[in-house]
Amino acid sequence: MKISYNWLKEYVNFYLSPQELADKLTNAGLVVADIHSVEDDFCLDVEVTSNRPDCLGVIGIAREVAAMVGASVQLPETNYINTNIDVSKLISIAVEEPILCPHYTARIVRHITVKPSPDWMQKRLKCIGLRPVNNIVDITNYVMMETGQPLHAFDLDKLSDQRIIVRRARGGEEIVTINGASRALFHDMLVIADSKRPVAIAGIMGGKDTEVSASTRNIHLECAQFEPRQVRRTSKVTGIASDSSYRFERGVDPEGVELASKRAVKLIKDLAEGEVANRNIDVRLERYETKRITLRIERLNKVLGLEIKRTVASDILKRLQFNVINEVDTFIDVEVPSHRGDVNREIDLIEEIARIYGYNNIPTKTSISVRGSVKSKYEIVEDSVRQFLIGIGYYEAKTFSIVDASPLQSVNLWSDKGGIDIANPLRQEESRLRTCLLPSLIHTKIYNMNHGVERVKIFEIAKVYLAGEKLPQEKTCLSILADVDYLTLKGIVESLLTCLGITSKCEWMIFGGSILFKADRSAKIQLGNNVLGYIGEAKELELKISPCMIELDMDLLIKMSNFSKKYQTLSQYPPVLRDLAIIVDEEATWASIEKCIAATNVSYLTGINFFDIYRGKQIPSGKKGIAFNLCFQAQDRTLKSEEADIALQKILNALQETLGGELRKQ
Amino acid sequence: MLEKLEEVKRNIQREIKSITALKDAEQLKIKYLGRKGIIHDFMKLIPSLPAEQRAAIGQRINSLKAEVTNTVEELIKKFSGEATSKAKHEVFDITLPGKRPLVGKKHPLTQTIDDIKEVFARLGFDVVYGPEVESEYYNFEALNIPADHPSRTDFDTFYIKNDILLRSQTSTVQIRVMEKQKPPIRIIAPGRVYRPDTVDARHSFMFHQVEGLLVDEGVSFADLRGVLNQFIKTYFGQDVQMRFRPSFFPFTEPSAEVDISCSLCKGSGCSVCSYSGWVEILGAGMVDPNVFKSVHYDAEKYTGFAFGMGVERITMLKYGINDIRLFYENDIRFLSQF
Repeated sequence: MKISYNWLKEYVNFYLSPQELADKLTNAGLVVADIHSVEDDFCLDVEVTSNRPDCLGVIGIAREVAAMVGASVQLPETNYINTNIDVSKLISIAVEEPILCPHYTARIVRHITVKPSPDWMQKRLKCIGLRPVNNIVDITNYVMMETGQPLHAFDLDKLSDQRIIVRRARGGEEIVTINGASRALFHDMLVIADSKRPVAIAGIMGGKDTEVSASTRNIHLECAQFEPRQVRRTSKVTGIASDSSYRFERGVDPEGVELASKRAVKLIKDLAEGEVANRNIDVRLERYETKRITLRIERLNKVLGLEIKRTVASDILKRLQFNVINEVDTFIDVEVPSHRGDVNREIDLIEEIARIYGYNNIPTKTSISVRGSVKSKYEIVEDSVRQFLIGIGYYEAKTFSIVDASPLQSVNLWSDKGGIDIANPLRQEESRLRTCLLPSLIHTKIYNMNHGVERVKIFEIAKVYLAGEKLPQEKTCLSILADVDYLTLKGIVESLLTCLGITSKCEWMIFGGSILFKADRSAKIQLGNNVLGYIGEAKELELKISPCMIELDMDLLIKMSNFSKKYQTLSQYPPVLRDLAIIVDEEATWASIEKCIAATNVSYLTGINFFDIYRGKQIPSGKKGIAFNLCFQAQDRTLKSEEADIALQKILNALQETLGGELRKQ
Repeated sequence: MLEKLEEVKRNIQREIKSITALKDAEQLKIKYLGRKGIIHDFMKLIPSLPAEQRAAIGQRINSLKAEVTNTVEELIKKFSGEATSKAKHEVFDITLPGKRPLVGKKHPLTQTIDDIKEVFARLGFDVVYGPEVESEYYNFEALNIPADHPSRTDFDTFYIKNDILLRSQTSTVQIRVMEKQKPPIRIIAPGRVYRPDTVDARHSFMFHQVEGLLVDEGVSFADLRGVLNQFIKTYFGQDVQMRFRPSFFPFTEPSAEVDISCSLCKGSGCSVCSYSGWVEILGAGMVDPNVFKSVHYDAEKYTGFAFGMGVERITMLKYGINDIRLFYENDIRFLSQF
């Protein structure tokens, strides 16, 4: 809220420069975001938190300043002379929805002269960014900015039958508001109506038909209270946010109507002449009951970590206009001023005392107890994975969890169900929770390529969101994209698994087509009974080179990881190595060879190491040569060459029988 | 005979001195040591000598031969060595650039989160995580933010359906932890949060927060100041000052916003701190009794504090990054700087 420095000085005496004032307000919780000079005045832009609607008027700010500097607040003049004609002869009021409109008052001023408001008022309104209109409209704005209580002036002669009904809108009703826009009204909206039609959306904006114009002679000055949630809902639905709705939805002072109404009439009488009708009409649901709260001194000091005396606490409360009704050593009973709707409990009083005492005058203790923190397995694995990947030259990326609904982004490797849409997206580009991380990494790859980085090695650890029962399943994935070949990326994953202590063997199964991967160069990775993830070379999107990508189930990695280690004795005896090359059918896989060798269960075999595959002149077509070596070793003695040869022969026989593998003649 | 030998010796010594190249040395070798050389000629004379002189003269000739051979070979070696090293004169350049292994980097936001985690781990805080897709209850009601309340204005939210939303703050984790656990509690909860803000240099619809919560008997606002002061000094530097300002959050009372003295201008005012000398880095406060009520804690027995900070904001401040979008573009030229 913008306030004028000179205006503020009318209600409280202080000797602070605009900057000093701004610092004080900021330290008391009213952040001054900006100060700028306007003619001979200064405009301070004060950020008022949503719990402090009482500070949405200059008087409210003055109360804060008074509490800070220990001064008192001068309320503005409200006395005026009225005529003998009773208000009830001029207007009738009916409130059909007392819950939504707990308080409605009307004052009537007749024979006014509508003209521009005087310079001093225009200057103040301009200082805080309001456009002067005419004296009546300016006065209602001025008093709202002064007291925080919105008011509205109707042209009395334009109200049909001089009758006001506060009721819900009826189906099909419309209103043209003072800003010229036409709005359809619905039954859940509260309106101010005359005997025929709505003339204002309650608490939000008045109607064009009944607004004060140059020809207006008689006015009905409405000063009322509306239920905050109702105003907020209607404001949201109609899209109208006004200075009035802003204040009503936060809650105005339940005892503030009288001051604002009288103050406005006093100014109208002064600035627009006119005759004020006797009395006012006041329709009120119930009397306001003053809140009483007890503050325990021990509790105050316990919560704040202070040792302040009762007298200090009670002095602060008094400066904030709390009425101390009872005060003993251990507690203080106070009555809460009506404008402090945010203060309802002991803890709220504690905050008030802390605020004025000064948050920065509260000690900075370092006496919390000692406690060892424990790293969860999730963190250990996440750290290990990151450390491993950056160690081999990979960069960590972070991409958005909300993506578009394109076919690429709709890839779902983990579930058959569709993606989860955002009900209120800002843009179509961000309208769905992602089901796969890889499309975002592809976009990152393209982004880098367009910015001159040809080759990338990147990874991301983040969640994918899979449709579930009530809440979706949030699965943490590890995805990698790199301009390397399939076997390089596969090797990285194999090393990573070793690094995480996952010793169970993975099965690499053919994974057919997908929008992401090339059909002949992609695999589904099975770990035990679970799918660990998917790997493959990227399909030629619009990329010249096709990087290799992998998406892994991070939750499974965490579950399967095992960091307990036990020392294995190092063999004292040399291994016997046998290199061999066999010729098999093109379709035979390395996995089938390994499986076949493992099935022989030969003794002393400790390792099988793949060398390469070759096809060429010496190899018949439809066949391929596979070279590898076998490592034999005993723990307790030097293995004899003949023992290795016997085992080797057994293996060769098995390969011959199972796969038709022939030893390649040198 | 002996005199002649002495003369030859002198000649040789003189000639050796004048040798400057391999060619000269080789000629000298032929002249004296060759099959038709001078020393060989002396050898041939030995049989003609009287028997009693033969041994002594022979010895002298041999020793002269050995001496000359040594000297000449050394010279040959010397000059031939020079020749080869001149032919392929190679110097190892120790200033050539090293062969650098490729090293990756953690994302700068991960680095910040890791740093924050480490500081709080030393103060005994455990790290916990919570779901990003939440029910309204955890994002609002349990945190003392009722429906249609103006405080909800500060928490615009992406919805999935009726009461399911994307969390707009990590404070949701407070509730989830307190529902499952009895005090004492000491946790931090990092994670992604979402708000429907149009993307620009300062706003992003997705960003990261770290939430903190400590609940025990006898925890006070002074302890909150103590813990945050520790964090600020460790993370931002021992000479950095801390300032608490009253503020409002529905889930804490009293509530505070915490500023640090601007590290760029040392408090004298610059564009980073909007010429105030202070930069806001986090929100904090004492857990509101209503929050304790929703997790069935006895608010008379237990007190606690909570705090929350924006990871992007802290990272931008630390490195002077002026555009939040850089974090999500993942330009390698950006990532490699941290």
